[in-house]
Amino acid sequence: MDRGFFSNVELRTPKGRFFYSLAFLFLAVIAIVTLFPFLYAFTSGLKSSTEVVKSLNLLPENPIWENYSQAWTRFEMPRMFANSFVIVTGSVLLRVGVSAAAAFSLSKLKPIGGRFISLGFLLTLMIPSIAYFVPLYTTIADLPIIHTSLIGSYWGLWLPYTVDAFSIFVLKTFFDRIPGDLTDSARVDGANPLQMLTHIILPLSRSILIVLCVLAFVALWRDFLLPYLVLTDPATQPITVRLFYVAGDYSLNLQMAASFLALLPPLLIAILLQRYMKIGLTLGGVKG
Amino acid sequence: MNSPYTLETKMEQPKKTKTLDLARIRAALPGQIAAYIFLLPALMLYAVFAWFPIIQSILMSLHDVRLGGEWTWVGLDNFALMLRDPAFEDAWRNSLEFAFWSLALGYLVPVIIAILVREMRQGKGFFRVVYFLPTVVPTAIAVIIWRFIYDPDIGILNEFLGQFGVSRLLWLQDATLAKPALVAVMTWGAFGTTALIYLASLQDVAQELYEAAELDGATPLQRIRHISLPHLYPVMSLMFVLQVIAVVQVFTEPFLLTSGGPGRATLTPAMHIYNRAFIRFDMGYASAWSVTMIVILGAFSIIYRVVNYRLTADR
Repeated sequence: MDRGFFSNVELRTPKGRFFYSLAFLFLAVIAIVTLFPFLYAFTSGLKSSTEVVKSLNLLPENPIWENYSQAWTRFEMPRMFANSFVIVTGSVLLRVGVSAAAAFSLSKLKPIGGRFISLGFLLTLMIPSIAYFVPLYTTIADLPIIHTSLIGSYWGLWLPYTVDAFSIFVLKTFFDRIPGDLTDSARVDGANPLQMLTHIILPLSRSILIVLCVLAFVALWRDFLLPYLVLTDPATQPITVRLFYVAGDYSLNLQMAASFLALLPPLLIAILLQRYMKIGLTLGGVKG
Repeated sequence: MNSPYTLETKMEQPKKTKTLDLARIRAALPGQIAAYIFLLPALMLYAVFAWFPIIQSILMSLHDVRLGGEWTWVGLDNFALMLRDPAFEDAWRNSLEFAFWSLALGYLVPVIIAILVREMRQGKGFFRVVYFLPTVVPTAIAVIIWRFIYDPDIGILNEFLGQFGVSRLLWLQDATLAKPALVAVMTWGAFGTTALIYLASLQDVAQELYEAAELDGATPLQRIRHISLPHLYPVMSLMFVLQVIAVVQVFTEPFLLTSGGPGRATLTPAMHIYNRAFIRFDMGYASAWSVTMIVILGAFSIIYRVVNYRLTADR
């Protein structure tokens, strides 16, 4: 039987009921405050450009649904969404792929100096990224040795975004728990390391791979500064960068409609994939 | 050693001659090559986009660096300049105040929420999702909505407070109000994650503890104080550090909502790094700030850990 600090019996007493309702009310108020910006953007997006200024009328008198289609076309939202999608999907696949290969090597192939390399990965977790943001930018603008600039190219985001030691450590911990017997018997049967990774390790790690993909997707979809600096051509910018700068040119009701539309993809992911997000968060909490 | 050749090396070990060491290395070589092939993409990417920039950050801080230009060695001049920069004191004082507001508004709330949500017999799942939603929202889009809410003339916040006779406030334009107003946006976007982490931790409390406490006559409040909270202390301690570190690095909210203003009231070190590096192209000077940030944040977490260790050791 599930219980917290209140037992189920206590909750049935008048006093218990009173405290329970009070707690429920408190949580509900916080929930309303939390949801308010979303709801407010949604209803403001339905108002006319004169009504939107009278902000205390929460609900529009005559909801204008065309505002949403207007915002969709006038802000050129399909292109912004497509840009975001291409940037984020490419980065997620690269990040998880590169991390899985590295974690597999560290966990199962035991490279000489593996501990030292792990320390190098760990270092990137301990140093705040804003602290090396400037040289990161100059590196992207002028890659060492080959002296190529990735400014204005999606590679300028895809490649730096693969750096995420958290993914490597989570995967390594997970791979470590896969019994060595499995990989050993595969080796005896003549499987090469690549086959071991793709036929044994990855299928067994499907759940954790999904968790990492979802986490990376949401985190990278939110990112602002790097795409803002790397993608100088407005036509290639993701929605997080572009929308803020064009929003000011339009009336408030269209701004709100566009913002609400822009929030939908991450919100839907959070709601539909909450199971995976929750696992990912608790992984993050333990990380330290 | 879990290399494919473990068996052979074990048999050969008793002899221990130099030639056999060579043989062992030769035998392990194919495995090592494979191991490094799998590591190579990560090694290259981390080298170029993490390790190299980290080292460069330190080197740049000792040079005068202009975008695309020459590096001139200037020693500690950038740091000396930084200490004389009036923005230095402002930015770090702002960081302290941001941290204060962020802890005041948002440190205990997630704890209370987690403890109460844990008690809910209905709607648990609903609350969990709702609190979490703002954390996935891109800041650059949330600020479009918040800008509207905070608007002094047509924003709903002033309209709402006006119902209670509060005169119109300049939320983002007033030097004293701008900080808490920004922190409210940050807290809105972050408290859900923390609450979920606490909630997950609370699920691990053995229910027998509550039952035993109840039998011993402990009131519900005592059960929270002596069972739930002590269980959360280690996580709360970690969250304290993480929250302060996150707040000190804040960039997007002040950059987009207030541009650091009014005056320098919401300028943060991260914003100053951005301004110097990408507006004035003074990358060396900006790097001096970056290095300072690493040092200050590192010192903070070390001091915190030592103090925390002393305190818990006494108990």
